[in-house]
Amino acid sequence: MLEKIEQLKEQISKLSATTAEEVEALRIKYLSKKGEISTLMNEFRTVPAESKKAVGQALNELKTQLTDHIANLREQVENNLHSEDANSLDMTRTAAPITLGSRHPISIVREQIISIFRRLGFSIAEGPEIEDDWHVFSALNFAPDHPARDMQDTFFIQREPDVLLRTHTSSVQTRVMEKQEPPIRIICPGRVYRNEAVSARAHCFFHQVEALYIDEHVSFADLRQTLLYFAREMFGNETQIRLRPSYFPFTEPSAEMDISCHLCGGKGCNFCKHTGWVEILGCGMVDPNVLESCGIDSKKYSGFALGMGIERITNLKYRVKDLRMFSENDVRFLEEFTAAR
Amino acid sequence: MNISYKWLRDYIDFDLSAERLAEALTSIGLETGSVEEVESIRGGLRGLVIGKVLTCVDHPDSDHLHITTVDIGDANGPVQIVCGAPNVAAGQTVVVATIGTVLYTPDGKEFTIKKGRMRGQDSFGMICAEDEIGVGNSHDGIIVIHEDVKPGTPAAEYYKLTSDHVLEVDLTPNRVDAASHYGVARDLSAWLCTHDRPAKANKPNIDAFKADRNDGGLEVEVMNTEACPRYCGLTIRGVKVSESPEWLKERLTSIGQRPINNIVDITNYILLGLGQPLHCFDLSQIKADKVTVKTVAEGTPFVTLDGIERKLSEKDLMICGGDGPMCIAGVFGGLNSGVTESTTDIFLESAYFNPTWVRKTARRHGLSTDASFRYERGTDPNICLYAIKLAALLVKELAGGEICGEPVDIYPETIAPYPVTLSYSKLNALVGKEIPKDTVNSILASLEIKSTERPSNDEICLEVPTYRVDVRRPCDVIEDILRIYGYNNIAAGDQLHASLSFQTPTDAADDLLRTISEQLSATGFNEILNNSLSSTSYYEGVNRWPADNCVRLLNPLSNDLSVMRQTLLFGGLESISHNINRKNSNLRFYESGNVYFFNPEEVSTKEQPLRPFKEESRLALWITGDMNEGNWAYSARPSTFFDLKAVVSNVIARLGLNTREIALNVTEPDDVYENQMTISTRSGKRLGTMGVLSLSLLRKMGIKQPVFYAELDWSALVSLALKRNAEFTPLPRTMPVRRDLALLIDSSVTMEMIEQTVRSAEKRLLKNIELFDVYEGKNLPAGKKSYAIAITLQDDEKTLQDKQIDAVMQKVTLSLEKRLGASLR
Repeated sequence: MLEKIEQLKEQISKLSATTAEEVEALRIKYLSKKGEISTLMNEFRTVPAESKKAVGQALNELKTQLTDHIANLREQVENNLHSEDANSLDMTRTAAPITLGSRHPISIVREQIISIFRRLGFSIAEGPEIEDDWHVFSALNFAPDHPARDMQDTFFIQREPDVLLRTHTSSVQTRVMEKQEPPIRIICPGRVYRNEAVSARAHCFFHQVEALYIDEHVSFADLRQTLLYFAREMFGNETQIRLRPSYFPFTEPSAEMDISCHLCGGKGCNFCKHTGWVEILGCGMVDPNVLESCGIDSKKYSGFALGMGIERITNLKYRVKDLRMFSENDVRFLEEFTAAR
Repeated sequence: MNISYKWLRDYIDFDLSAERLAEALTSIGLETGSVEEVESIRGGLRGLVIGKVLTCVDHPDSDHLHITTVDIGDANGPVQIVCGAPNVAAGQTVVVATIGTVLYTPDGKEFTIKKGRMRGQDSFGMICAEDEIGVGNSHDGIIVIHEDVKPGTPAAEYYKLTSDHVLEVDLTPNRVDAASHYGVARDLSAWLCTHDRPAKANKPNIDAFKADRNDGGLEVEVMNTEACPRYCGLTIRGVKVSESPEWLKERLTSIGQRPINNIVDITNYILLGLGQPLHCFDLSQIKADKVTVKTVAEGTPFVTLDGIERKLSEKDLMICGGDGPMCIAGVFGGLNSGVTESTTDIFLESAYFNPTWVRKTARRHGLSTDASFRYERGTDPNICLYAIKLAALLVKELAGGEICGEPVDIYPETIAPYPVTLSYSKLNALVGKEIPKDTVNSILASLEIKSTERPSNDEICLEVPTYRVDVRRPCDVIEDILRIYGYNNIAAGDQLHASLSFQTPTDAADDLLRTISEQLSATGFNEILNNSLSSTSYYEGVNRWPADNCVRLLNPLSNDLSVMRQTLLFGGLESISHNINRKNSNLRFYESGNVYFFNPEEVSTKEQPLRPFKEESRLALWITGDMNEGNWAYSARPSTFFDLKAVVSNVIARLGLNTREIALNVTEPDDVYENQMTISTRSGKRLGTMGVLSLSLLRKMGIKQPVFYAELDWSALVSLALKRNAEFTPLPRTMPVRRDLALLIDSSVTMEMIEQTVRSAEKRLLKNIELFDVYEGKNLPAGKKSYAIAITLQDDEKTLQDKQIDAVMQKVTLSLEKRLGASLR
């Protein structure tokens, strides 16, 4: 029996295989239930007691050797297989067609603006687009026949009582101030409407974001600080701001803010009409009349408001020259913003 | 309005360049857009010089040309010029256009003077007539200068030609005080005073005014002093209407005003120079010895200067003569009462009209004039008398005539400077920085606001001049101080004064929208954005969104934009059609936006004007064309309703809503959907609809391929989602078991019916049912189809035994057979 074992040992060391099937055949031949090893194990029962130790040891050695050898062969074959596969894989083929969509540039910029103000602690407030005269005009200190109303061409839905499409998101201010006690720190994004012929530079609907902060001791310096922070977060750390006195019925003092032209860095270019500045928003200290209209004590509280057109900011960022493209929804246009954020 | 740099300098002395001036004005709230150089003569007479004709002989080969030699001051000596003018002669001093000079024909075309050859004779330039160089209209031969001018002197120098700059100042509605050159000069003075170069704005002196006679003046009666708080009138007889002198014409043309005649030009000069509108009547047309300022009966016809007959309102203030109304006060003159070439006697008006009256009248008649623009914003009541005297002095100077008496001045109640009390501490608190008292006081003085300090020392009593109609309250004064002090002198530090604020449900909802948007974009959807103004034609005859429920605009831009959308559907279909027309037909879109409804049953009241109107926010999804372009790895696959269904389910899942609490119910087709499903909560709250759009609707929109559409009620979804939170459940310790069943069923049996049947047969162990294969068609009995379903069973506690599994499957099969007539294949 020992002899047979030695023979097998000899045989085993010479075994070779090139395919997985061959390895499997070897395994079956030697290691399966009816394989050579099993046969030897059966014979082992008949070995006399005095030789059992030596034969048993040899048999165990044989089994270990065989198992290891077959495992090695299997590994070899598998390795060969993998390297062949790797060589035949053309990784430069086009990727599987999984399409990536895009966010609309107006939404992207809207979210950027909101997130800057939310970092400062403003929360979002919303209001209706179909509004009454009070919230859009009267409460905001537009006298009944004030020429300031001529500044905005309004779409009316009905007269007396007047119902109209809001011309600015400032109406949300009014609604919040009527409901909430100061401190009020809100940012109001939304859609607004003007009765203007549609062209590359004007549209009958567009989007605004308004920010309002009412509290004790809110000052013009706070406004300026907020504006500077916003401008730098939005347009980069080098951005300079410039305020120009202006007029809005609902703020006093009122200002318009320019930022240093981010294209030429303020040196002057076609984009900024060689002034080095581009106008981006209107702002001011909330007029005491507005506070009082909304039931807030203007002796105790003061505040600032600022508002901007999202399309305007988007144009500054991405230089879309024709406003109409924003609602045309041409996928070639939309896909340009796949990477915008 | 346009401001001429030179004209401005008539009222204030300053040494800023036009560009620097524009900056200064912008910084104090007079936003100056463009600065343009204007030449009173086109081309600025460049290339034209004075010459002396040395010799002049007739051209041998022409009966009208002359050959001249002209000294044009050139070092190389005189030049030969062939000249056709009959009046040219040796010894004359003339104007010569040298080679290269650009001249303009009367109709504005430019041409260049070149070296010429006329009938064999060289000509090095042109001796010019007045109209050829733009200094006059005469073409009666060449200009002959009778003074002794050195040859070679530039013509521009001889004609004392200078250029001017025009600044376009964009006035905000509150700054009517600056709607004149003097007004701008006054504001500029405040800037100069605070920039260490004090200069005061000065009005022309009128001390020379005196009446030439005491008779012949017209009386004035003001019958409505509310509408007309002040009226000054003055009669001047024997004037000669003619062209205005150069200086006056230049002033007006520099800012784009057309000169008319000396009298009209004077009124415009004072309007634009000082801001006070004047009106001038032809005395012979007044036909009475009295001018009456009053309202007239409703409906009285009146023909205005533009020849249009208008029906007057009883709220229109009129200036009336013997034959009735002559002029709409402060707005527009009548056709017959104005000054003409033949006018000899005039009646001048300088008044202060109530802004509200003027505004209403102007609006009523759809008129806007230079006068109404100023009156409706508020002119200075205290400038009327000065302005009329200044006008009279100019009339006498330019048109002659005799001033008949002192001006009539009806001013029953003097309007005094407006008192305002300002506290320094309030000022500093609002500004957020302490501005020294001295600075405050010097700014106030520069703005002509008189101030007296109160003993308390914190307050000052101010008197605001009557021309500053917008300054009435402390905050208005603070704005004035701040704009002169400089908005940009308020420094921003590193800290922000802020109160805490907390996240609101609106914030959370916005975050959710962002999450869902990102999810959709990541799965191949493009976000779109459409106008909420839509075409009424989309809603006509559509039962789903009756046209009666459209919110309609009273003053739409066009029929296509006359109603508010009730659905996001049509905007998206327009976008789909737009892209298909551009060869992009595989589209996946989403839009989040509002829809608007009008409820005709509700009534709009004064207290609740918005009652009949409703706005809701929606999330809409469109899928059309192939799901992908297709390539070597996967071939293109046409999209189906089930792609849409998957996306909708994923949105719902991402919002944290359990599929068990959502019901999807198939409903009847309508005029929008060929097949549709409503999405709602189990308790019946509507969350949206999805389905296959009807072919006829798509055809109407010009789309020839199927479109799958879902519209979700975003606000309803969000309010549910905000109540949900992901929760952790321990992982099961066992593995699930899957068993497949191939069922032969009637075509009318739905997956929903199978699912319900299976679920009611086995509640505890059933984890999931999936439809993994569908077969319809050949080899099946008529009216039958085959569904292959996978049933997943799992006991969280212990591993299922084969026996248990078989029992469940038997129960399920039995139930499917009994309730749905299913048979196993």
